[in-house]
Amino acid sequence: MGTRYIWFIAPAVIVTVAIIIFPWMFTIYMSLHDWQVTGARTFIGLDNYVSAFADRRFIAAIWRTGLYAVFSVTLPVILGTAAATVFHHEFPLRGLLRGIFIMPMMATPVAVALVWAMMFHPQLGVLNYLLKSVGLPPSLWVYSPNTVLPALAMVETWQWTPLVMLIVLGGLATLPVEPYESARIDGAQPWQTFVYITLPLVMPVILVAVVLRTIDALKAFDLIFTITQGGPGTASETLNIYLYLKAFSFYQIGQASAIVVIFFVMIVALSLGALALRERTRWT
Amino acid sequence: MATHETAPSTKSRRRLFAQAAALVGMTGGLAACGGETAPAAAPTTAPAAAPTAAAAATKPAAAPTTAPAAAAGGGFDWKKYKGESLSVLLVTSPRADVLTKNQKEFEELTGIKVEADVVPEQQQRQKTVIEFTSGNPSFDITQISLHVQKSLVGKGKWMLDLNPLLKDASMTTPDLAFDDFGKPSVSYSTQSDGRMDTMPNNLDFWILYYNKEIFEKKGLKPPQTHDELVAAAKAIHDPKGGMYGFAARGLKNANVPVWTGLLHGWGADTLDPKDMSLKTTTDEAIAAATLYKELLSKYSPEGVAGFNWNECQTAFMQGTVGLWYDGIGFATPLEDATKSKVVGKVGYILTPKGPKAQHAAMFGDGIGITNASKKKGPAWLYLQWATNKANQARLLSSGGGSPARQSAYTSPDATKNLTVPKEWFDTLVASTKVGRPGLPEIIPVTEFRDIFGVALTNMISGADPKAELTKATEEFKPVLEKSIKG
Amino acid sequence: MDVMQAVGPSVAPLRSLSPWPRLRAQARRGLILGVAVFILVMPALFVFLWMLSLALKPDVENTAYPPIFIPRSPTLDSFRQILDGSPIGRYTMNSAVVAGGSTLIALILGVPAGYGIAKSQQRGMLGFVLIARMTPALSYLIPWFIMFRAIGLNNTLTALVITHLVIGLPVVIWVMVGFFDGLPRDLEEAAAVDGASPWQAFWHVALPLGRPGIVVASLLAFIFSWNNFIFAVVLAGRETRTLPVLVFNTLTFERLAFGPLAAAAILVTLPVLIVTVLVQRQIVVGMTAGAVKS
Repeated sequence: MGTRYIWFIAPAVIVTVAIIIFPWMFTIYMSLHDWQVTGARTFIGLDNYVSAFADRRFIAAIWRTGLYAVFSVTLPVILGTAAATVFHHEFPLRGLLRGIFIMPMMATPVAVALVWAMMFHPQLGVLNYLLKSVGLPPSLWVYSPNTVLPALAMVETWQWTPLVMLIVLGGLATLPVEPYESARIDGAQPWQTFVYITLPLVMPVILVAVVLRTIDALKAFDLIFTITQGGPGTASETLNIYLYLKAFSFYQIGQASAIVVIFFVMIVALSLGALALRERTRWT
Repeated sequence: MATHETAPSTKSRRRLFAQAAALVGMTGGLAACGGETAPAAAPTTAPAAAPTAAAAATKPAAAPTTAPAAAAGGGFDWKKYKGESLSVLLVTSPRADVLTKNQKEFEELTGIKVEADVVPEQQQRQKTVIEFTSGNPSFDITQISLHVQKSLVGKGKWMLDLNPLLKDASMTTPDLAFDDFGKPSVSYSTQSDGRMDTMPNNLDFWILYYNKEIFEKKGLKPPQTHDELVAAAKAIHDPKGGMYGFAARGLKNANVPVWTGLLHGWGADTLDPKDMSLKTTTDEAIAAATLYKELLSKYSPEGVAGFNWNECQTAFMQGTVGLWYDGIGFATPLEDATKSKVVGKVGYILTPKGPKAQHAAMFGDGIGITNASKKKGPAWLYLQWATNKANQARLLSSGGGSPARQSAYTSPDATKNLTVPKEWFDTLVASTKVGRPGLPEIIPVTEFRDIFGVALTNMISGADPKAELTKATEEFKPVLEKSIKG
Repeated sequence: MDVMQAVGPSVAPLRSLSPWPRLRAQARRGLILGVAVFILVMPALFVFLWMLSLALKPDVENTAYPPIFIPRSPTLDSFRQILDGSPIGRYTMNSAVVAGGSTLIALILGVPAGYGIAKSQQRGMLGFVLIARMTPALSYLIPWFIMFRAIGLNNTLTALVITHLVIGLPVVIWVMVGFFDGLPRDLEEAAAVDGASPWQAFWHVALPLGRPGIVVASLLAFIFSWNNFIFAVVLAGRETRTLPVLVFNTLTFERLAFGPLAAAAILVTLPVLIVTVLVQRQIVVGMTAGAVKS
């Protein structure tokens, strides 16, 4: 079976390699060099990697990225799964409402991020007005180091819950009928049916969503860059933002390249971890 | 520069030299005026300057359609590069607005087609570095933020030294009158090795904006000193009533000029240019940082740690902020009723005096030609047009900046067309006399701003100024040393 | 879709025999469902309506507090400012060419690849696709700039189309693998028995059946390319910038232009949003197949 389909796959692989091989080689090469934009380039071995791990800001960025990813994976996955079970029902105007629900995921991130930035304004923003009008105390949202990560994760959740919803909806659509019939005969409550039958059955699909979300959350850039650029201070400086700073503000290309390599290894490791988890649930 | 591609014929050079010499003699008197820090208006020199300045300023503006404004310059051939085209990279700013709005004038004058690309500051800085490093930039001309890009551009020798061109009478219109440019702006444009790789274009001073209505209600006088500044902010501040005493940038990187501007009040800077040593943990630096901390943590709107100029401006425009410390270029929107609720209520005053001195933090930009450009001749014509008296006067009257040319300040056109209050203009003139560079002239300015910016933001949330500055200095020192060595 | 409606947790409990409690239960469930749908749709609806409100008000109203929701003096000035004052026409064309071109190439390469991976069960290849997606996009920018400069493609739309393949191709392959995986095997086996080559089977059997998957794949590839911001910021020039860059650049120097910003945001996202609502059904069908098996 194997080789018959090679010519279906080969063109896509060749083109992909052609596009990304030079950047990869360049990045690895640069990560071993000290390159000043105004001139000399010297080979320095693994020094860039050593100094990256000695860099407090880099280490802090790793933890921050992890925290941000935890928020922006769990919230969309929980809400997206809930939304999928809701949209799995039939009700009037379902198509239109489902369309509106998935709009955030389709909208241009830079555009919506700028609108969110205006809504977050601590004195003039509409969000604090809404909080006040329902009797809640105002928040500083992205304007305080203490609340900036959850606030950004909230936008990320707003934007990417629809994707999880679509994936889980797909899972729900292919569920077998039999377990539900026996549950009905046994007189199970709807929530019992959901917890004991639906959830385990769609778990592999949910884990697909987890893998995709993990990759995207670790790499999140547009939103954070547009709203806070990593601030206040360094409170929302994730790895990708720090990378941007190193490469495009400080022009420390060697350092930045080392960070890319470390970052990439982390993303692959975490994704493989999530995939392995998925394989396990599949067989149990 | 002897092998300059666009070196003109000796004949025309000789012919024009005489005229240039005549003009130099005529305007020579102007050069003497302006002391160390008094570049611009210097009203005392007005009588001497007025005739030439006013005449020249109106000329190109008045007669763009009858293109041979060249005639005015005594036969300078503006049309010698007719049919060429230029690629110009500008930064979104009132300076760029003036140039793009009047671009047709240059195209008609010279027959050169201009393709101007205007991008936000951050993108322009990135783009220039990436393109220069690639060795073959896609633009012939670019604007340069002197306070950020100067040292880097100088070290890379990426831009053309304009001094030889200035001396070349066949290339330079007598109308240019280089003496008209204030001394501080010329020295700001000049590298430490004497190369001048940008034409001085604009200086940006920091001033204090205050809300007259609030001040009257509270019976306050505009603050003249640091102490009065704190007292006024304190008197106004009432967050429960939706009123805030003070606003300034808290966002890292953007906030560093606030601190260095306050530090000037001690007559001090963050770097000693002689031995390139950092002066960021001195008693003065700590005192300025403590003042910054007090103003921003006690008397500013909640969330100021995330404020850049735009949030400050938006808050000030609502009439809910008493004082705002930032660059001088914000008058136009403040006086625009479709955007602002404080039209006619804004006071513009000089940066208050500190314990030892009074200065206005100064920033600036120039415009220059890339060394790799194959169209240096046409590009030089563009530079001459871009920084001519008419355009500099337009810049002033738009309220968008402080032109490098002294004649702009005495140009009747500029003051007549002024779209912002006279008070703003007076503060600008006063600022030019006490201007002092707001950022150190080093290559890693961005790292400097970033690292010390983080320290300042941390102070707003309660961190100790001395500890933060010490930590930041330790972090930045190796970066600076490396840039000096490398 | 039929399967979808037939099953799931929406099975009525058997216990209630008299009609009244059953109707009441139904009404209660309807109410809960209604509230749930409302809560889910509200955040999206609110943000987009607020965006519209910002774009239709002068900035004095935009920065007013308490916020003004319904414009008091509605104006189209913000839109006019963007439409007249910026090269939006050219940028729209650029976005369309880049997103369209990269989507087309991604389909030509990705649909057969998806089929090949699904049929040969080469899961490693799918991993490879994901690896391309896992690389931080920022790391591509400088090398690409140097590369395109070297081959004379800098500041061209061609260069942008090529780079956007990194976005489109993984999406297309990912959706198509899932889709072809889910197709009944007997049809192609029948074709194989009839002596058709894998290409013929693909062309005549799989491709027509895969059409819903292709629709959703091309839609997602197009939208994600349309929305991409960072590639164009660094790699595009004056003539070749795309729409998201325009929105970002609307942040002018001396003020935060709320109205024009929102207007630009609407002009950029509106085409995408309209398409989303119109074809949401196809998206659901396509994603459904893609999600399950990949």
